[in-house]
Amino acid sequence: MGEVIVVTSGKGGVGKTTTTANIGAGLASMGCKVALVDADIGLRNLDVVLGLENRIVYDIVDVTSGNCRLRQALIKDKRLEGLHLLPAAQTKDKTAVSPEQMRELCGELKKEFDYIIIDCPAGIEQGFRNAVAGAEKAVVVTTPEVSAVRDADRIIGLLEAAGLYEPKLVINRIRLKMVRQGDMMSIEDIIDILAIDLLGVIPEDELIVITTNRGEAVVLDQNSRSGQAYRNITRRILGEEVPMVNLEEEDGFLKKLRKIIGLK
Amino acid sequence: MLEFLSRLFSRDNGSKNVAKERLRLVLVHDRTSISPQLLETLKADLIQVVSNYMEIDESALEVNLDSSGNTVALVANIPVKGMKRTANRRI
Amino acid sequence: MTCSKRDVRGEVISGFAEGIPAGQEDLVDDNTILVQRTLRSGQSIHYDGNVVILGDLNPGSEVVAKGNVIIMGVLRGVVHAGACGDENAVVMAFRLQPTQLRIANHITRPPDDEPEDTGQPEMARIKDGVVTIEAFQTGGERQGKAN
Repeated sequence: MGEVIVVTSGKGGVGKTTTTANIGAGLASMGCKVALVDADIGLRNLDVVLGLENRIVYDIVDVTSGNCRLRQALIKDKRLEGLHLLPAAQTKDKTAVSPEQMRELCGELKKEFDYIIIDCPAGIEQGFRNAVAGAEKAVVVTTPEVSAVRDADRIIGLLEAAGLYEPKLVINRIRLKMVRQGDMMSIEDIIDILAIDLLGVIPEDELIVITTNRGEAVVLDQNSRSGQAYRNITRRILGEEVPMVNLEEEDGFLKKLRKIIGLK
Repeated sequence: MLEFLSRLFSRDNGSKNVAKERLRLVLVHDRTSISPQLLETLKADLIQVVSNYMEIDESALEVNLDSSGNTVALVANIPVKGMKRTANRRI
Repeated sequence: MTCSKRDVRGEVISGFAEGIPAGQEDLVDDNTILVQRTLRSGQSIHYDGNVVILGDLNPGSEVVAKGNVIIMGVLRGVVHAGACGDENAVVMAFRLQPTQLRIANHITRPPDDEPEDTGQPEMARIKDGVVTIEAFQTGGERQGKAN
């Protein structure tokens, strides 16, 4: 039986979809069978982030309304064996699916996949309720901004109300230079406020924009720091003990190393 | 250079501390779902009740919701000027 | 794929049969609607006839037609012509850059590498069982047929 994990944040634009895609690709690259579910009906994005937008024939609403079988709607990734996408519908809205249908769908997917990762829409309305309905675990994504942290706090409360206790936190787009200058909340500051376990920290990285433009996952890039951060998250999900690297030190060391080698 | 020095010394006053403090206050209200207006009404009611029994300095009165760990406490700091011998309760 | 008018959220335009001009049955094989605007992401048109769009079809939009689909603009969305199995249906656009193109039971998508923009009107149709895309010719047989 697989495990259903919902990736949520409350606020939009903090990196839910990117995180979903990279966790999925990371797990699949380690040999897991993964299904990614885009629960953002009406504003689908996971397909373009994965570069699978031109393969969609059926979507989640077609499945829940009985237009097609689940197997027909699942799209295989072009690179990773074992990675599948169940796309959202673009021409419908959140009310096209009910929490009961989502629960049923997740139950169905669990039989076949090791991990089912649900990309939750922003907000706390029906889209959120649908996305969390079938989930067993939750990952909350935030950025080091007051608005994102506040919304993350609200979401943690709502997750608990929905029976999803102990969600794990991903802090995205952290800029170490600004943290060092005291102009950005640090990892400790955010953990201190939200009081939940940390799953990982993703540094701000231009490569994420570049890989997303191409429809690829940064987690597969062996040389990038953001890719490394997503690989660490993947391993923690698989139950490995991966120490939280002190990003600040690593940064300084890498910079020095680059200088020595002669890279800018 | 000057900028560097001032940054070095003002490290504790970076904007992140402002952010953290504001966030902390906002979250206390969010978590207890008490709005600032509600807190004001509570303050007024407290003054009314307490002044039935003692003379208090209304201007220096402070009412706050404090969160430590996972609990939230209502903390009222009410400076007392003097006691009243009889409680003049309204009938 | 059902061919009845689907009750979907978004925009569904249902049609009604009009009289077909005498002597042109082979050209006007079904009723046709004219959509005088650009379709944006999330908007869709399902129609049991031909669809002509005076505008673009943006990514995320969808046109499903029982007959032919003609886009007087850029086709970037999903288009399905001959949705009830008509293999003679065609898709034509000033710029043919679909996310996905379907004719009858055939589904195609552009190659994964960068799509080349030919800069001219193109037409997709089924030839020998495969969807082929060719430059749209105004002269020759088609024009002759129309006259």
